[in-house]
Amino acid sequence: MEKYTLNNNIEVIIKENINTPRTAIVIYVKLNKQEQKAGINFLMSELLLQGTSSRNAEELANELDENAIDIIIEKKSDYIRLKLLCLNEDVEHGLEILSDIILNSTFNNYKKEIIKIKGEFEADLDSPKAQTQDEYYRTIFKNHQYGIGRKEIIENIDSITKEDLINAYNDFKYILKKNISFAGNIPAEQIKKLFEKYFEELKQKETEDTRIIVAALKENRISLIQKEDANQAQIFQGWNIPNIYSKDYPAIILLNTLLGASGLSSRLYLELREKKGLAYNIRSTFEANLLGGHFFIYIATEPKNIQTALNGLKIEIKKITEEYISDEELENAKSSTIGKRQFYKETNLLEANLNGIYEYLNLGYKFEDELINKIAALTKEDILKTASKYFTKPSALCILAPQKALSDAKLL
Amino acid sequence: MEDLKKTQAIYPYLEKPIEIYERPCGHKIIFAYKSGSLINISSWVKTGAVNENDHNNGVSHFLEHLMFKGTSKHKAGYFDKTLESKGGIVNAATWKDYTYYYVTIPKGLDGKNFDITLELHADMMLDPIIPDNEIGLPFDINDTNITTKRERHVVIEEIKMRKDKPWTRIYNNTNENMYSKHPYKRDVIGNEQIISSITRQEVLDYYKEFYTPNNITTIIVGDMNSKDIIPKVIKAFDFKGRTNKENPVFESEKPLSQTKYVEDYSKINTGFLMFGYLCCSAKDTKTSIIFEVISMILGLGQSSRLYQNLIEKSESHIFNVISTEFSAMRDMSNFFIQANYKPEEKETAISLIQKEIEDLCKNGITEKELMKAKKKLKADFAENAETVSDIADTIGFYMTACNNLRYIEEYLNILNEITTDEVKKTANEYLTINKAVISTLMPLEYKN
Repeated sequence: MEKYTLNNNIEVIIKENINTPRTAIVIYVKLNKQEQKAGINFLMSELLLQGTSSRNAEELANELDENAIDIIIEKKSDYIRLKLLCLNEDVEHGLEILSDIILNSTFNNYKKEIIKIKGEFEADLDSPKAQTQDEYYRTIFKNHQYGIGRKEIIENIDSITKEDLINAYNDFKYILKKNISFAGNIPAEQIKKLFEKYFEELKQKETEDTRIIVAALKENRISLIQKEDANQAQIFQGWNIPNIYSKDYPAIILLNTLLGASGLSSRLYLELREKKGLAYNIRSTFEANLLGGHFFIYIATEPKNIQTALNGLKIEIKKITEEYISDEELENAKSSTIGKRQFYKETNLLEANLNGIYEYLNLGYKFEDELINKIAALTKEDILKTASKYFTKPSALCILAPQKALSDAKLL
Repeated sequence: MEDLKKTQAIYPYLEKPIEIYERPCGHKIIFAYKSGSLINISSWVKTGAVNENDHNNGVSHFLEHLMFKGTSKHKAGYFDKTLESKGGIVNAATWKDYTYYYVTIPKGLDGKNFDITLELHADMMLDPIIPDNEIGLPFDINDTNITTKRERHVVIEEIKMRKDKPWTRIYNNTNENMYSKHPYKRDVIGNEQIISSITRQEVLDYYKEFYTPNNITTIIVGDMNSKDIIPKVIKAFDFKGRTNKENPVFESEKPLSQTKYVEDYSKINTGFLMFGYLCCSAKDTKTSIIFEVISMILGLGQSSRLYQNLIEKSESHIFNVISTEFSAMRDMSNFFIQANYKPEEKETAISLIQKEIEDLCKNGITEKELMKAKKKLKADFAENAETVSDIADTIGFYMTACNNLRYIEEYLNILNEITTDEVKKTANEYLTINKAVISTLMPLEYKN
């Protein structure tokens, strides 16, 4: 692995992997401004694939598909991520198109894109799970831009003007901090020259993150959605956690493994699915967002089981905050977590992504090794302390179910 | 060592040919070399919903769940805990032609995780005991006072989950109406009545009938040496004289002669639409690849015809989502067009898709479109060679649906030779509108 800096001060990570037919390049662009209108950066990101000054949307789609070049652009809570994936023989062509998109997008089709996005989101929201998850984010991140979901974007997107988009785009091109990560079977010197050629016009400036920090929940928040024909109740429950820079981050990763992320042997899976037959889907996950993260549990169960499922979750959360885990469980969770991290580097895209995200966070590409060492050094005291620090605090709970089931569970 | 029949096949983009070993008992072992720190061990069984009837529909999938409930040697949970604690991912899946079980795991220092993974995987495949206390007693699905809930209830929750998914619901409605008799018409997961009442003995009988040596292919993918691992696989998979039985054979059905319309309603806000067609068998390699070309041109990606004509260039904005899918299967494959649209425009939505199909059948495709599809399918094959699990899944699927790996080996050559005329001919043979099941799922307020 090699790290170097382009003439415009943008940092690049290069990882050569022999015998891999597809090249992956990932660019992280760090967001740091409060959005004045919900969905500006999302819409701007979507429009990057809708035409440049030399290629209209159809020409761009055709050229990408004719050359089997995938460009995926995602707007996340704290960054915009651009992924380029193509056969090795097409890497220069891919970079030329990516550079064109980043530097010369026109946003001429923004009204049409707004209609498309609203339609796609309306289709998504016909899924009870998607609808509940959206509501959960709105509940735990109330009055914060992390809580903006599909519903708010549908409601507000028409107010976004072309000027709003151009302003966001200029920040994206010239202000926001960027870094590039490459993994593939192309010699380092060759890929460096290509980056100099296609990304020399990009700029970035040192600017403060002016976004608002997430306010921690002061009391439990409950949000209910009535859906009379639901065959399952959708339940999301989450707690505030700190961001990735916290010293508790390794313990939070391990708590996730213990509770609900380690496949068939996690506590929630064993207790609520295997022993009680309450669910097919049950899992935990977390996001250590920069302005404030969250750790949440998802369970889908027959509507009449809502109270039993909530009691089961409560018991497991209480247990992990009050009782030491066994030595065996600690060691198993560590080796499971550390072993699974090898999956994060299995393909060039995964590896470029992982190296890129640590650089974007200023943690350095060696952070992965440091993190593994920290996970290996965790004690059961660390786990208990971290669990009780976050899971005894107020939570956000969101449930979708028929009215009767919500009433029977004494939620209405 | 027993007498093995060894052959090889080329898997594009892998460094070495795949090795295929057939044992005298009929069990097949396949090894694919892939450098890296992860290994995948899987066994694919040639059974699924295709071998079920109206009384035991869902048993293949239910058995798949119950296979994780312990063996004579190891109690329930040992398999998951042991392998997951080493960073492994363990799971299984059931479809119409196949059921498969897999472990993807870091191979560990000096490949130490291979031996334990193989031992536990083979033990699970050959000696499931399916204890009563794990399966749970049969019960009346209308009895709301059941308190002891075991795996039956987990599967019933999975059935309920699928009912709440609009795309799954419209797929099931379409699928059921594409066949008259063939068992592909049944939903793989079965229904609540059957899963609540099927007995342990019925599940075990099904296991004994279909989990026979000639029905199982074990696949190993990773950075290992076949000389070391093949004897270990043979030793671990001791079938103890288990006898093979002939699998049932089902007559292929012809595509419909008249368009069939199916309507359903739900508490949703948008409309869901699916066109379903019966196609060739997956064993017809060339026609299957032509269908992949058609799918790519018609409905995959932003440059596809349906996306460009019905979403990007549309002034009326009727469609929210549109795509195609070719699903290869042993007896008859399926081709689907799936869309989400504004419900008030249902008739127009159907007619716009019909027009696109008619245009494809009448005018065929351009050379440029064919070149695009070929390039994208070639890149997809490169993608399928990137992870040990994708490689194993590709091998497992073709060994199960086609009984050999010719499809993989010849794929790129056949793809290169496909012409625009052949694409047009295939479209006319299978995709004319009279052969379609057209299924809609609409908001409740549109009923009557």
